Amino acid sequence: MNLSAPEASGISDLERVQRWMLSVIAHPDGINEGADATEARRWIDAGAGQLESVVTRSRQLSASERLAVYGNAYYARLLDCLGEVYPVLMRTLGEETFQGFAFSFLQSHPSKSYTLNELGREFPGFLRATRPEDEGGAEWADFVIDLADLEWAIYDVFDGPGLEGAPPMTLPDFSAIPQDEWLSLKFRVAPCVRLLKFSWPVNAHYTAVRASDGELNLAFPERAPSSLALSRRDYIVRRYPLSEAQYGLLHQFSEGQSLGDALEFLLEEGTISPESLGSELPRWFHDWASERCLFRSVES
Amino acid sequence: MTSPRLGYPDLGFGLGLRTVHFDYILENEPRVDWFEIISENFMDSRGRPRHILDQIAAKYPVVMHGVSLSIGSTDPLDPDYLKKLKTLSDEVGAQWVSDHLCWTGVASLNSHDLLPMPLTEQSLRHVAERVDQVQDVMERPFVFENPSTYAGFTSSTMSEWEFLDRLTEKTGCGLLLDVNNVYVSSFNHDYEPEDYLDAIPGDRVVQIHLAGHTDCGTHIIDTHDQPVIDRVWELYRRTIERIGPVSTLLEWDASIPAFPELHAEVLKAKAILAQGDDADEARQELEHLTSSQRPVGADTERASTSNPHPLHHAAALVE
Repeated sequence: MNLSAPEASGISDLERVQRWMLSVIAHPDGINEGADATEARRWIDAGAGQLESVVTRSRQLSASERLAVYGNAYYARLLDCLGEVYPVLMRTLGEETFQGFAFSFLQSHPSKSYTLNELGREFPGFLRATRPEDEGGAEWADFVIDLADLEWAIYDVFDGPGLEGAPPMTLPDFSAIPQDEWLSLKFRVAPCVRLLKFSWPVNAHYTAVRASDGELNLAFPERAPSSLALSRRDYIVRRYPLSEAQYGLLHQFSEGQSLGDALEFLLEEGTISPESLGSELPRWFHDWASERCLFRSVES
Repeated sequence: MTSPRLGYPDLGFGLGLRTVHFDYILENEPRVDWFEIISENFMDSRGRPRHILDQIAAKYPVVMHGVSLSIGSTDPLDPDYLKKLKTLSDEVGAQWVSDHLCWTGVASLNSHDLLPMPLTEQSLRHVAERVDQVQDVMERPFVFENPSTYAGFTSSTMSEWEFLDRLTEKTGCGLLLDVNNVYVSSFNHDYEPEDYLDAIPGDRVVQIHLAGHTDCGTHIIDTHDQPVIDRVWELYRRTIERIGPVSTLLEWDASIPAFPELHAEVLKAKAILAQGDDADEARQELEHLTSSQRPVGADTERASTSNPHPLHHAAALVE
């Protein structure tokens, strides 16, 4: 084994081998390119031609071929994981295109967590940061980013905190609130609720993709703003399309505003009209309470 | 003098708990002796996986098997991870907790693979020190599995079985002997699996793993996606004859069959080892399972791949 790598002094042989091997098997161009790369040579100065000074060959495989088992598995496993977190996005883009994005993502965002459940967290942000600037591509990219945001939120809600063990407010709870106290109340949104705003109708697209078997043959949707609440009941993620006013009110609650302050803000903003308040507000509360998951509690 | 198997019980014949079988198990309460869970799939869960696990742990003995301890890494042990491991172990009443003799990453990066150790005196000292730390946190002997490996290092100065023997001697840890992994590694490293199995300290073996693999001709990959091959069954029988009965578990992680088929596969181990009336009973149980109808909804999880274990299953349930 060659010990002459310049940065290898001061660390143990074990650490040197581990840093070398990880940089070799995770190299995007393959084992030989990884061994020849500067990063690997920082730890062990053995290029592709000298791999067998570090890794033994077997009767049937060279050192490079043996390392390739790990190299192939590295990307296969992580791409597979991202495909499980973003199944609708993968079907929308096609597996090859999706994996192209995912492969690029893994170069800049290798896993740093003990759990693969975190691997996809930064993927929507990566897509946003690498969004193409040209006009046609940008339209398409914004749709992809919206869809990625939706799928990560679904994944996050599925295994995150919920209210299954502690029932939230129900219709009788709301009925018991005295009329004169309503405006001063603060409604706390349940921890499993995510309020999402999109530039594209991605929730409808998500439904359509899941309903279609086999090859996807969906028209690219028209750009249209949409809002959605995600929540979880009985350990299943539920999707509730929201009007702009509904989103606005729930968002105000999530910011800690009382009902009175929230309504005043939304009326000033023009999101809610005075005429619609009397008819729509009771229906919204009824619907949200019926789902038994949108609200956790109220406080004065 | 240490108790055989460190005092851990012989749980019988168990199965790896997989997401696709959650509903079947809760609805049918199959007569499985025990379940093994992948620790990382539950330690952060605050949703359905943990909810299901709590119900299963109330009815069956549960063992925890991890893939991210990274005992051989030169990065510091992750105290947050260890704390969560201990908490989950306490909460589900895990019979014991295991992981692999491997490293999964370095320099804060995680490959999520079970990477091979250079088998040197330095590695042995390093791993032994960390095993002591882990056992201090867990407050009981930890159990380590021999991984399937596909590459070895020129710097290695001892065999894997010598490394494990000396590790158990130094630290008092237990062994999870994966017979399939012994077979896979023996093929990949050109040695006889019997040499390995005959040298393992039998009284330290707390658990045995069995699984299927993919033979690529020039090498074998530990894919956990098909039945156990006859040669591995032979090695299993030989091992039990040498070390006596020990908790045995079947792993299946890709192209997962319906639950009765999986159950039947591990009962082959029971039938192999049973004698007299027990053998008749085991055969009848096996015949009943193999002749039963494939239940609706317990479909295979995915097409077979040649990705080595460990794999990851994370599909969310959405309406």
